[in-house]
Amino acid sequence: MAEAPKSRNFIGQAWLVILLALLYGGALATVHTALSARIAENKRNETYSVIPILVEGADQSMTAEVSVEGQNGKELTVYRVLDSGGHHRGWVLPAAGQGFADQIEILIGLDAEVSTIAGLYVLGQKETPGLGDYITGEGFRNRFRGKPTDRPLVVVKSDPKANNEILALTGATISSESVSGIVNRALANLKGPIRQLAPGGGEEQDEASSPADRQGETGP
Amino acid sequence: MTRGEPTALERFINGILPENPVYRQLLGMCPVLAVTNGMKPAMTMAGATAFVLILANIMISLMRGLLKPHLRILVFTLTIATFVTIADRLLAAYMYEMSKQLGPYVPLIIVNCLIISRCEICASKQDVRVAVADGVGMSLGFALALASIATVREILGSGTWLGLPVMPGFWPNWGIMVLPPGAFLTLGLLLGMVEWVNQARAKKAGKRE
Amino acid sequence: METLTGLVLIFISAALINNFVLHYFVGVCPFLGVSRKIGTAFGMGCAVTFVISIAALLSWTLTYFILRPGAPLPSWVWAVAGGNPATTVDLSVLSYIVYIFVIASSVQFVEMYVRKFFPALYKSFGVYLPLITTNCAILFACLEIMKHLQDPMRLWGLHEALALAIGGGVGFTIAISLMAGIREDMDICDVPKPLKGAGIALIVAGIMAMAFMGFTGVQNGVETALSSLLR
Repeated sequence: MAEAPKSRNFIGQAWLVILLALLYGGALATVHTALSARIAENKRNETYSVIPILVEGADQSMTAEVSVEGQNGKELTVYRVLDSGGHHRGWVLPAAGQGFADQIEILIGLDAEVSTIAGLYVLGQKETPGLGDYITGEGFRNRFRGKPTDRPLVVVKSDPKANNEILALTGATISSESVSGIVNRALANLKGPIRQLAPGGGEEQDEASSPADRQGETGP
Repeated sequence: MTRGEPTALERFINGILPENPVYRQLLGMCPVLAVTNGMKPAMTMAGATAFVLILANIMISLMRGLLKPHLRILVFTLTIATFVTIADRLLAAYMYEMSKQLGPYVPLIIVNCLIISRCEICASKQDVRVAVADGVGMSLGFALALASIATVREILGSGTWLGLPVMPGFWPNWGIMVLPPGAFLTLGLLLGMVEWVNQARAKKAGKRE
Repeated sequence: METLTGLVLIFISAALINNFVLHYFVGVCPFLGVSRKIGTAFGMGCAVTFVISIAALLSWTLTYFILRPGAPLPSWVWAVAGGNPATTVDLSVLSYIVYIFVIASSVQFVEMYVRKFFPALYKSFGVYLPLITTNCAILFACLEIMKHLQDPMRLWGLHEALALAIGGGVGFTIAISLMAGIREDMDICDVPKPLKGAGIALIVAGIMAMAFMGFTGVQNGVETALSSLLR
């Protein structure tokens, strides 16, 4: 008996909040359905637009996303990069780590055999302006090009002699070391699993031909 | 309305200078310090805050007669959080670079005391016309404050304004100005300057009497 | 061992290197408002650390199981309801609303709990609790946790989320207590009249931020030291 007035009281107090919650929920759902595709597209483009910088001869539209389990047991998405003829050109892997000031997010390009670094791109960083933020510059990024993946990279302050040495940025040794550390960790984690994905030689031809077929289907 | 509430025009003008949210009321300090290392992020932030403030003011003002006093803050928060989410999605869809640069500071508009205080002081008491005028005035005042700090920081720190180079080539960029300490120092000194002007004007007015 | 090093690094990073107040500018309002006496400032810091940990615990749980793209609970509901299994269920559009209510209710809850069971503690910092709801530091911690849960590359566990939250709270306490100490001494200084109050406080904060910039880059050393210690 006492229930009814109590619940009526509750409705009387809270009907506006409930109505608003429904209204706002509807508004959010509309916004989400309208914009989520576009936001996902933006996020995708951020990576895809730089793939030709990372791996020479790459065609963005031919890139395929591949899920890989790293050595640390976590699942990751890497990108298999093909040229416009459908030939396997290399790989792009995302990586991140603590820099001098904040997180640094990078993309690493590898050649088809996963034996050398083909390119490097910095997606996000908050290093010191005028010193550490030169890691985004082409001059620094090119220092990684052609470095071997079988030995960890070492940052040096004077002319690099060995193949795996990277010249540090003047006044930003820690930023340089952070980037090479992120590269080293990402390679140690993912080199093996990626190599298993792409056994060299004849099988690669098969893999290369299948996306080309797919293109043939979607082309016309 | 027995007690004379300010009219629409008064609300509008008050927001810009006499009750400037940053320099006079010290509200919304977090975005004021965090996104003013350049004009572009600062103006995007001002735009997003204006969007939320004006729309929240309109909504609250429309339902001011239905508000229960003890559920008031709940309704304000719900409204603000919804509009912030919409603003955040819009930024991510149409200005992705900016949205990435502003990062968590767009959702942090929810806890910007400026908006909730305007809902409480103005929108929940007055009609839509006044609420809109108040929202626009306060947004302009907030944008003005952000612009003044961003101008100082960007010109001294990067030698540019809105991305355009304005300083001569020999200008050494004051790196510290675009870093966190520069934000605190600039705002502190600008606050001091505004206060100094006010005190000088008050003294003058005092002498005349 | 790697996890432990990671946790220590997250903690040090949140507390010192990327200090919540002096690097991310969150929680500036109480930092300027409640920093006149060391005692009250420390009480405020403790209250924030307390609430931030509880909010982080709740928001991690909610985000991990419900809000993140492809979270288990809504996916299960979707599958039971007979939806297309190929679509990823993404409720992240609701995150901000959920977080703000999580914060508001955890502040209420903490206040009631502390008042009932720890009256002494309530006397020392209970009065600051209602103020905390609008403290951006707490929402910021929730947002950072959300960022790390949306990114499959560094999917955070609960321990990492808590390390960030407690580190952030400790960093806030350090900053606000130092600030209060400086301001107590500044009361007897001859500050130019227009700068009195907020002006000089901000300038002091700027100088403190410069000092805290000295911590940047410490993490590499900490990492090496820890890994050699733990080996």
